[in-house]
Amino acid sequence: MNDETSCSRHRTICAIGLTAALATCGAPAFAADPIRIGVIAEASSISGAAIPNAAQMAADEINAKGGIDGRKIEIVAYDDHNSSADAVRAFQRAANQDKVHAVIASYVSEVVLALEPWAARLHMPMITPGAASNEISLNIKKDYEHNKYTFHGYLTSAFLARSVCDAAKDLLVGGLHMKSAVVVSEDAAWTTPLDTGYLECLPQIGFKVLDHIRFSPDTTDFTPIFNKIESEKPDVMITGISHVGVQPTVQWQSQQVPIPMFGIASQATSSTFWKDTNGATEGVLFQTVAAPGVATTPKSVPFTDAYVKRFGITPAYCGYTAYDEVYYIADAVHRAGSTEPDKMVTALEATDWIGTVGRVQFYGKDDQFPHAMKQGAEFVSGLLVQWQDGKQMTVWPDGVANTKMRFPGFIKLSQASN
Amino acid sequence: MVGLPSSSRKSRSLEPAIVRAMLGLQILIDGFAISALYALGATGFTLIFGVSGVLNLSHGAIMVAAAVAAWALAGNPLFGTYLGALLGVGVGVVVAFATYFIVVRPIQRSRAIAEVEKEIFILTGTLLWGIMIQEAIAYLYTSNPKTVRPLVDGVIGIAGVRTPINELVTAAICWSVIGLLWLLVNRTRAGKVLLAASINPRGVTLLGFELSSVYLLVWAIYGVLAGIAGVLLAMFLGVSSDGIGPLTASAFSIVVLGGLGSVSGSLAAAYVVGYIETITAYMISPAYRTIPVLLLLVLVVYLRPQGLLGRR
Amino acid sequence: MIALRAITRSRLVWISLLIVAIAATLPLYVSAYILGLLTLAYYFGVFAMAWDLLFGFAGEVNFGPTFLIGLGAYTAGILNSRYGLSIPVCVVAGAAAAVAGGVLLALPALRLRGPYFGLITLVAVLLLQNMIVIFASVTGGEIGMTVTDVLSIDETENYEYALLFMALSGAILFGLSRSPIGLILQASGQDPIEAAALGFNVAKHKLAAFCVSALFSGLAGALLIFYLGTASVGTVVDISVGVQVIIAAVLGGRRTILGGAIGAVFLIVAGEVLRPLGELSTFVVSAVALAVILFFPAGLLGMLMRGREMR
Repeated sequence: MNDETSCSRHRTICAIGLTAALATCGAPAFAADPIRIGVIAEASSISGAAIPNAAQMAADEINAKGGIDGRKIEIVAYDDHNSSADAVRAFQRAANQDKVHAVIASYVSEVVLALEPWAARLHMPMITPGAASNEISLNIKKDYEHNKYTFHGYLTSAFLARSVCDAAKDLLVGGLHMKSAVVVSEDAAWTTPLDTGYLECLPQIGFKVLDHIRFSPDTTDFTPIFNKIESEKPDVMITGISHVGVQPTVQWQSQQVPIPMFGIASQATSSTFWKDTNGATEGVLFQTVAAPGVATTPKSVPFTDAYVKRFGITPAYCGYTAYDEVYYIADAVHRAGSTEPDKMVTALEATDWIGTVGRVQFYGKDDQFPHAMKQGAEFVSGLLVQWQDGKQMTVWPDGVANTKMRFPGFIKLSQASN
Repeated sequence: MVGLPSSSRKSRSLEPAIVRAMLGLQILIDGFAISALYALGATGFTLIFGVSGVLNLSHGAIMVAAAVAAWALAGNPLFGTYLGALLGVGVGVVVAFATYFIVVRPIQRSRAIAEVEKEIFILTGTLLWGIMIQEAIAYLYTSNPKTVRPLVDGVIGIAGVRTPINELVTAAICWSVIGLLWLLVNRTRAGKVLLAASINPRGVTLLGFELSSVYLLVWAIYGVLAGIAGVLLAMFLGVSSDGIGPLTASAFSIVVLGGLGSVSGSLAAAYVVGYIETITAYMISPAYRTIPVLLLLVLVVYLRPQGLLGRR
Repeated sequence: MIALRAITRSRLVWISLLIVAIAATLPLYVSAYILGLLTLAYYFGVFAMAWDLLFGFAGEVNFGPTFLIGLGAYTAGILNSRYGLSIPVCVVAGAAAAVAGGVLLALPALRLRGPYFGLITLVAVLLLQNMIVIFASVTGGEIGMTVTDVLSIDETENYEYALLFMALSGAILFGLSRSPIGLILQASGQDPIEAAALGFNVAKHKLAAFCVSALFSGLAGALLIFYLGTASVGTVVDISVGVQVIIAAVLGGRRTILGGAIGAVFLIVAGEVLRPLGELSTFVVSAVALAVILFFPAGLLGMLMRGREMR
């Protein structure tokens, strides 16, 4: 174990490079108590299922290389059936019975917000791989000492909005000379700040926002919504959808709504979305943090390939973040030299990890969104992806784009050129 | 206004009256299709109640099972859309029979359950059965919504309202099936027995008909109706295992509104519900879609518990 | 007096007391997690017992137990998180709101029977759910609401609160069901006309049953959210929660009151034991419940007590 000393001397190297760290720090036998990570997610949804799958992959990789400081990573998965009560029960079980050292929890803001007070009460470090609500970070801001155990391992809604606007500025305003937009989002915790962000940044990049529509996530018939939007004649619909996806997309296509969809559409990030919509998703544009075949970082493509090989589908967006989270939790345990919660929190706050989605760092307690993932070109910036012929093709940013935007025949872009 | 992109700037200044007329036509068309689907879904539900007094709370699950089967089979190049849809309806019949043989009949024949309590047992039993189907679907095919490719693609303009052809096909199929059912009940011997059974089950047995074969017939018809309704719903709006509860609740509401056991009442109620929902969604907000119907339901049940056209 | 003597003579009562006594010692030797599980089960047990009083005795098919539970839970939750009132005040207010809701439900129940009343209760739940979503600024909407205070963060304390609450509720509800009032309820549930002909005020007794059932549903709902620290539609209002309550009561044995508690513990523990099955666990629990209904319609308690005196 004399590698240990060389490692602590070059802590930064260990922290940044995964393979390097493991090669130097790894010990073949698992001497000590394993590092247990609880994973709470909805197993029957595609986005939810990606979380435990990806976490298990990361754990297997780390263990194959000897674990962390001789400690194996153990994933304990729980199905929360997308219910806050089940998630709270699972969280309590994880903390009290299964004695996990950290929890990776849910892509649903409602669930994460219900767990946040429990992370505080039980002093359990918790990271969400996919929930977006600003409230998660704002609660930490309000009462840091109490809520510091929660980390936001995905972009907050405010950043998501900014990421969409950045892409829209280049692609829609710059490329297609669009002038007007309608914001259309499902009514849920994560879209409240998202919409605020949209309404703020869209005018800044030159869009006139003609309307702002929020609909219930239980909506099954989107015809009235599309009709209303169409009568307002915007150049584009800026979306914020996650709980819904298949139905609006299919109805958009079958009713031949002539306006492109652009924005957040979480379900579209999964490769099964093409089959689920019978190809209706052709032309849909969505923001995500990583996409198949796009080398956001050197780790992105190998992870996607390995995931597809193992599970047969591409990881949904929260698969990428969950995979990274296991790595940087392990890294934090290593740097803290302990699984003691407060030490882990301090170590997690110092995270500087090149993952599959970019360079992961968290904002500090005095920033606007404490413990939220930093957004920006040098950190995690997001991609704009479009479904084309059954494939997810990246169209933004220029550096990683592998094709140009293209729309199905029923989309009428001519309005914009008037 | 639609289909004339070059005039799009001008259309903003179009007469409000024309815009309103367009909206009215839009509501008329959309409401018609969705109501037809509701009518088909509720007809089977009310038929079962009329003949055997069973309120089948696994109704939504049977519809979704047929729809998801059609989706899964249509995705297989061996079957394609049409055969897939047909086999999906077949799955609906199979699941309906399973509901009858596994849950309903054992309770009806049980000697351990008092007659007065059979109703609540059938309600609870079919509810559990529906949950089992729902969980099985979620396990095998995830709870993500599924859509079946429409029988006919494309859109046509009806006086300027762009309408998916599939919407019209859906309404046409629903009404054809309801028409066929009417012929079956009124023009065939088996149908007449069925009608008689729904009015007086004891009388039918006295006439020498086996009540159990009447039940088999009505469950078979029910399976076909629920199956078709499910597959059409998957083509029109899409279905998911999470939507099973609301589907059952909406069929239940329509049937009570129309009068339990009254087929014509259900048809009328389906249109009342379909249009109120559509008008609310267009004129007020899609978020409030179901509320006026719920309030109407409370009102009707208070003032006229036998429903709009009920006979009890 | 007759009722009191009957209760003290009932073997069921003594067995129940013994079980509660054993349950009280559980914190000494079982893990915190199992305590947490049972805590939840005990609150559900009260939901199921309160439901059984309405269904089993008053004969009212109530598909919407969560209307009463949700009213109690959300009233308490809003008062706590928006106005900072203390837990006891919130719980009492929640129970009061639920009783008001119970009276509201009782009015149609006095006029309607069977499926019609069932539908009204279903609609009540759907309307409540819609209201919560529409008034999201107060209720937290789809997000759910995080309450400021919790009963305790210690699992043992939470467990003791829940056990005490369930035991008291069970004793009161059971006592009531075995009292003359319970017998009149049962008579009016089975044949209201004859019961009225015998000179009983059916309406008054039914109204009382609704109030009592609502009182306990509301209390349990309010306490549950102060245990969980969160109130959301999916936890206390959704129809699927109501379905669980009904299944627990029918599974445990109708018209037994105490069966509801047994059914709830069975449901929640079974769901947990089957956790390794992952998504299939709900399927298996439903299948087992269905089998019990089909083969042992008297429920678990009825099965255990078969052939013995129940009164």
